[in-house]
Amino acid sequence: MTRLLLPLAAIVVFFLLSLITVRVARPRDPKRFFLAFALLLLAGTAVAYLTLWPLATIDDALGLVSALLVQLLACLTMWNAFYSLLWGFSGSMMFDLFNDPSLLNRERLIGSYVGDGPVDRILARRLPNLERGGWVAIEHQTLRLRPKGMVMAVGTLAAFKLFSLGMGGGVK
Amino acid sequence: MNLLARAIVVAIALFAVQALAVAAIAAVRRRANVYALIVVVACATAPLVFLAGPSIVGRPLSTEGRAFLALMHLSLGGFLFHFMTLPDRSVTLRIFVELLLAPGRTLTLAALGSRYGVRTMVGSRLDQLEQGHFLSIRPDGVITLLPRGQRFGRFVTAGRRLFNIGSAN
Repeated sequence: MTRLLLPLAAIVVFFLLSLITVRVARPRDPKRFFLAFALLLLAGTAVAYLTLWPLATIDDALGLVSALLVQLLACLTMWNAFYSLLWGFSGSMMFDLFNDPSLLNRERLIGSYVGDGPVDRILARRLPNLERGGWVAIEHQTLRLRPKGMVMAVGTLAAFKLFSLGMGGGVK
Repeated sequence: MNLLARAIVVAIALFAVQALAVAAIAAVRRRANVYALIVVVACATAPLVFLAGPSIVGRPLSTEGRAFLALMHLSLGGFLFHFMTLPDRSVTLRIFVELLLAPGRTLTLAALGSRYGVRTMVGSRLDQLEQGHFLSIRPDGVITLLPRGQRFGRFVTAGRRLFNIGSAN
């Protein structure tokens, strides 16, 4: 099991690189960096593993695949923590409630999300990115799925049905 | 089949079996928490994978090989857990599905708001946070953060400071 020290080291490096990147370089879209770091470190782990333990038996092959999966899972968990917990909807709500006592009221909290603009705070954050990324087209205040968005929507709907998730979107 | 390809095929099969097991249980127990199901399925089947390792792989395995196989199985459960957060929690994916199901596959912003608006989103999340004992809500709407909610709030605040996140959502 000493082979698992390799992904462990890579996970620590991934965390440090990500932290330094967001604190020092402050990129507009950190996920591109996270993805690049994760892929490079996976390649590094694979090369190091194969150098130290060439694939002579099925045990070696299982060791390599499990090491890469553990490493990728840990990177994905950090990435998900960054985007879902720190940046996501529930995390943001808890941030607001924890830091702004005036929002400790259901209607005032909802009001803070409605905002003053033509679209609410939640859509205002997402729609420009979705349009820029080619997921949806927005014309005359009307949204239309583009082919890329259609594929994602069909896949999501299939997941709703397969795993009995209702209509997802954090609504129970 | 070469060794690495065999290990990859085994990984794909283990993932598929876990996903199907979770889907089958979720279909029967519709009110069950899908994340708890994933954890239970992965943890409950990991010892079976360890014991049945040679049969699953089709080759003799050392104890270390069996342990790697069980670890692989648990990691794949972790991936399924992460995957599930996408359709289950993502606001963006829900918007895509609302558009897919809409007549002509188009929606005005107002129509989208009436199907999946701020009141629904915030209200539902607040209800879930209340059920999870993160906060309590009085009948007059006053919210009180419970100890678990205080810890979550502190964690998010510290994490945002650490990662330099000015504003979100």
